[in-house]
Amino acid sequence: MVGTKRRRDDDDSERETPRKLRARIAEFATEEPDTSDAQTPSRRGRIQHLQENGTPRSILKKTGLFNAPNSATPKSTRKLVFETPSKTPQDEPPNGTPTIVRNADRSARRKSNRRILERTLNGAGSDDEALGEEDILAEHILDEEDDDDAVAGAEEAEEKEAPVPDTPSKRGRGRPKGSGKVGRPRKERSPTPPTELPPHEEYFYQNRPGGTKTSNNTLSAQTLLNHDEYFQAMQSYQDRHQPEMDFLLELHSRAYDQWIFELEEGFNVCLYGYGSKRIITEKFTQRLYTHLSEQAQTTGTKKAPKIVVINGYSAGISVKDVLTTIASTCIPAGIKTPNQLASLLDFLLDYLTNNPPAHPVPVILNSIDSPYLRKTPTPSMLARLAAHPAISLVCTADAPNFPLLWDVGLKTQYKFLFHDATTYAPYDAEIDAVESVNELLGRSGRRVGGRDGVGFVLRSLPENARLLFRMLVMEQLALSLMEGGDLAGDDDMQLPLKAKKLTLKHDVPESSQGVEYRVLYHKAVEAFVCSSEAAFRTLLKEFHDHQMIESRKDGMGTERLWVPFRQDELEGLAEDLAGDL
Amino acid sequence: MNLRRRKNERQSVSERANTTHTRNYPSDFRSTATCGRSKKSASDAVQQKIVDFISTATSSPDEPKFAIPAGLIVAGPSIASHGPFFQRLGQNIKDETNSAYVVLTSGESPNLKTLLKNLIKKVTSHVEDDDDDDLDRPASSRHGPKLLNYDLGHVQEWRKKNRVASIVIAFQDSEAFDAGLLADIVDLFNSWLDRLPFVLLFGIATSAESFEDRLAGRSLRYLEGEKFDVTQSDDIIEKIFSATVASTASRLHVGPNLCRRMLDRQKDHVQNVQDFCDGLKYAYMSHFYASYPTIFLRNGLAFEDLPAEAFEAARNLPSFRRLVEDKLEDGRPGNVRQLLESDQHLFQQITKSMETGQHALSTLSHAAQVLFSIRASLQISPSIRLSSMWTRAAAGDMVGSPILRETMLSIKKISSDKFVDLLAALSSLHGDFFNMDLDTLQQELNSLIEKNDTSAPLRTQHDVRNDSLRTTVVAQKVLLSKHKAALSEQDRAYSDLVGRFHDQLEEYFESAFIDPQSIFLSEVLIYDLKSPHTEVFQPKPRFAIERALATPHDYLGCDCCSGVDGNEAALAATQPATAIVYQMYVESGALINVSDLWSAFNAIAGDGEEDNEPKTMALFQRALAELKYIGLVKPSRKKTDHVSKIMWKGL
Repeated sequence: MVGTKRRRDDDDSERETPRKLRARIAEFATEEPDTSDAQTPSRRGRIQHLQENGTPRSILKKTGLFNAPNSATPKSTRKLVFETPSKTPQDEPPNGTPTIVRNADRSARRKSNRRILERTLNGAGSDDEALGEEDILAEHILDEEDDDDAVAGAEEAEEKEAPVPDTPSKRGRGRPKGSGKVGRPRKERSPTPPTELPPHEEYFYQNRPGGTKTSNNTLSAQTLLNHDEYFQAMQSYQDRHQPEMDFLLELHSRAYDQWIFELEEGFNVCLYGYGSKRIITEKFTQRLYTHLSEQAQTTGTKKAPKIVVINGYSAGISVKDVLTTIASTCIPAGIKTPNQLASLLDFLLDYLTNNPPAHPVPVILNSIDSPYLRKTPTPSMLARLAAHPAISLVCTADAPNFPLLWDVGLKTQYKFLFHDATTYAPYDAEIDAVESVNELLGRSGRRVGGRDGVGFVLRSLPENARLLFRMLVMEQLALSLMEGGDLAGDDDMQLPLKAKKLTLKHDVPESSQGVEYRVLYHKAVEAFVCSSEAAFRTLLKEFHDHQMIESRKDGMGTERLWVPFRQDELEGLAEDLAGDL
Repeated sequence: MNLRRRKNERQSVSERANTTHTRNYPSDFRSTATCGRSKKSASDAVQQKIVDFISTATSSPDEPKFAIPAGLIVAGPSIASHGPFFQRLGQNIKDETNSAYVVLTSGESPNLKTLLKNLIKKVTSHVEDDDDDDLDRPASSRHGPKLLNYDLGHVQEWRKKNRVASIVIAFQDSEAFDAGLLADIVDLFNSWLDRLPFVLLFGIATSAESFEDRLAGRSLRYLEGEKFDVTQSDDIIEKIFSATVASTASRLHVGPNLCRRMLDRQKDHVQNVQDFCDGLKYAYMSHFYASYPTIFLRNGLAFEDLPAEAFEAARNLPSFRRLVEDKLEDGRPGNVRQLLESDQHLFQQITKSMETGQHALSTLSHAAQVLFSIRASLQISPSIRLSSMWTRAAAGDMVGSPILRETMLSIKKISSDKFVDLLAALSSLHGDFFNMDLDTLQQELNSLIEKNDTSAPLRTQHDVRNDSLRTTVVAQKVLLSKHKAALSEQDRAYSDLVGRFHDQLEEYFESAFIDPQSIFLSEVLIYDLKSPHTEVFQPKPRFAIERALATPHDYLGCDCCSGVDGNEAALAATQPATAIVYQMYVESGALINVSDLWSAFNAIAGDGEEDNEPKTMALFQRALAELKYIGLVKPSRKKTDHVSKIMWKGL
């Protein structure tokens, strides 16, 4: 018992890849005639047939085999093999390895069962297949257990086997409830993952092949909010943790003097932690300003202190913007600054060396690790800037792995002191929540305002443009239909419409998404939508401008165009367009 | 929880500090200055050699040369220090020789053309025009065809005006340059060598051999190389260490724990001298910033200068409490009362204790150095660095340690020739903190040596060579017995002398290696806090973010989020939306169905009412967008409405 249990656990954690499994099944299938020979020679013909055409459908019927009165279940057979072989000599297969083969046999049979079931229920798809196979593997394992279990008698086994052939139609996906565990409480195979795993174990557990079982649920188009709804909802929202967050801010604010001190000592400050740190930098800037102006009063300089604030998160910012902003603060307006990036930096640093300002110019840089400031020359240029004694840099970093941006050399130049500044404040300025979720889910088509938006744009466009767009939508639909059709195989024709839709849900691989530019052009010419490529381009440009289509070069270098909508939306769109025209 | 406590602590600390830091801190600037100075002195010798090399290479500018003089500077693997090194080197070269000095890095020289452009720009200090591309085209002018902007002719022109003896070009990170590019440039420079006196310097992080291997023999023929080994960062750090931390002159000592931490970090992670100096500086800064009593470290402090709070702070120090307890045990309650009540009295006590404390600590540092030099002159292996020896001494576990015992034992066995060397080495350390009577020992030793008529050095009775083993076979068993060889008269006298030396030295070490924590005001004299130092230099941003999201209660400290019904693990609906989504994210597999995530979120955070769903959805969207922004999820094309997980918690 102990042994079997452990084996189950082992098998559990090291699931094999589907491909291997399939290979094994094929193997088992070939062995089948041998084993069944002794028992039911009459069925042989059918099994061979199964072998030949490879469709597992016929195996379904073979399950009756085990219930046949004249032959015992494999379980009892096995027992007999080991304990009292003389009783059932006719059960002994000639090759002498009965249990393994038979186990394999059975699991192959079950697997076939499942495949057929699933095919008929919801059409064949790669994901379903993978999941199904997994379940079967589980069953296979269970069977093994049953076999090993010496206590189980033949009667019980029969009872167990009975429900399998009887209930295929009722079964949904997943292992059949009754199979192989009547009256056995120890077999609860709950889907709850093991808890309290060490992090690395958890990584491997969650990344095990075929380990991701997710449902096929999708968010309906209405569930996600658009910008208006989002801001409306957010306006009325009051964070219940506001007092605590304020307190946290208060705590951070007590460190401002310390940070000023550190800046004065020639260090730079970098703030990290969860939550937008913009509030902190804003307040710190105020504090710094008062501090500097007090200092200016004592030293007698009239000039108001200057502080540079740069938002690294704003889209499309480049290091040039950073440098020009700093230059505009430090260098008097009369002096012409070079345009080139490297020379601008040199010029700026030279200027600061030769005309040192009264106090180091504080540069507040929000989100130094923003995607725009990550590319190669930027960090090293910022480091050179930060290393200059006349610049003191205060920056914030949002990503958890931001120190990876800098190697030892850069780190030394930056001379950072790091402070944890967790605020829990929402990243309101840094991110556009609605847009980035849409992007995350591949629904950037919502940008134009969905179907209605597209319709609106199209109505304002000439006839030809509408025709072209409809052509593109139709082509895209047809393409995805074809892709889905390939996967579904010949059964496709018999499937109900619903099942067909399900197959369509499976995304086509990224590379072959969309319609080839050439193909679309030729179609357009054939349909007299446009007469030249230039005209075609003009029409496309209009769509591009309204973000109604996207284009990308695929792996082969051919340009592909597609409408960034999901299947169901695309279908609706096609209907609309057909109605319009 | 403890984070919160820490924050509270910090709050009180910084409140106090606001008033004090500006006043206290600048008093110990000197230490950091020493830091820089010793760093400089460490590499000075090498720099001088390089400068000499350049001046000899250019001493006869008119002679035709057949190869470019090239200095191969093996600067070691700590690339962070290369930049400052070459900068200083440039300064030295410009100061001492009549040369133009240019540093080229691999980053700015992707190809020959750009390299030359940069080179010309830097040599001629010509600010390039903005429309750079126009210059690429040769525009003929009245004076014949205009030169291309990557033509070394520019440099020649420039040299006509500025008569420099040589043009020194330093390739800071030669390994990062393309080998072909290096070959090309060497080739080109060689062809210009009759017109332009080039000297090349290659910064090498690996070894000169590997540098040679990268270049073809043809290019190597054009180079006339000389190798310079730059002091490695380990050695520089040792020097800095003995000049700052282990110096007898420093008034503030960095404690052993912090030292060990910094040294380990140097060894294991950064190898960066600048970083070490920054660390030291920050230690000094934090010492003065956060604590009031550090004001007593000031030199020449008068009672009138001090506010009453300073004394109050001093009375709250743990070491003050220890002092009081000791005094009470000694049966001097009157003295204690005075200390507690009279600021004036306390001030006197503090001034006195500061002095003795300083002296004790300096003696400790010095004793570590004495021990180090003894080991060095006796060549005891394994050789232990001064830094680690000092750290052990400062931690108070030197007395009775194997190092000390081993050293003392080998002193017992010392032979007279080595003893002379040892006394010579120690006499240089003789001073306030090491006042053993070395002179008399020296004299006695000298007279003994004079009397010694044999050529062999004098040996002590403990010397192995004076032992002989005798084996006797008794009843088929081998008996080993040790026998002292009979000592000569001189040897006996010498043994006496060494014995006395040994005893004195032992006494000295015992008195010097005290536990620094035991002295009064050790909190002021020693800075040994790990807390701000580690976080500030070795932050764990990922851990901080994961913690903030996994257990928001740690940061927020609210009453609502510490789990449901005493179950810590349960997700409370009151937690911030992102935290809820994150915790579900942690539990899910590599591929996440957003629709299911949403329904789970709605079940936890939503209130079940249809009307409030948009609000919940808005929160959900924001949380998801934040996870994407932080970089925890990315879009997946495997399935519709799925996202893939990128980071696993705690890895």
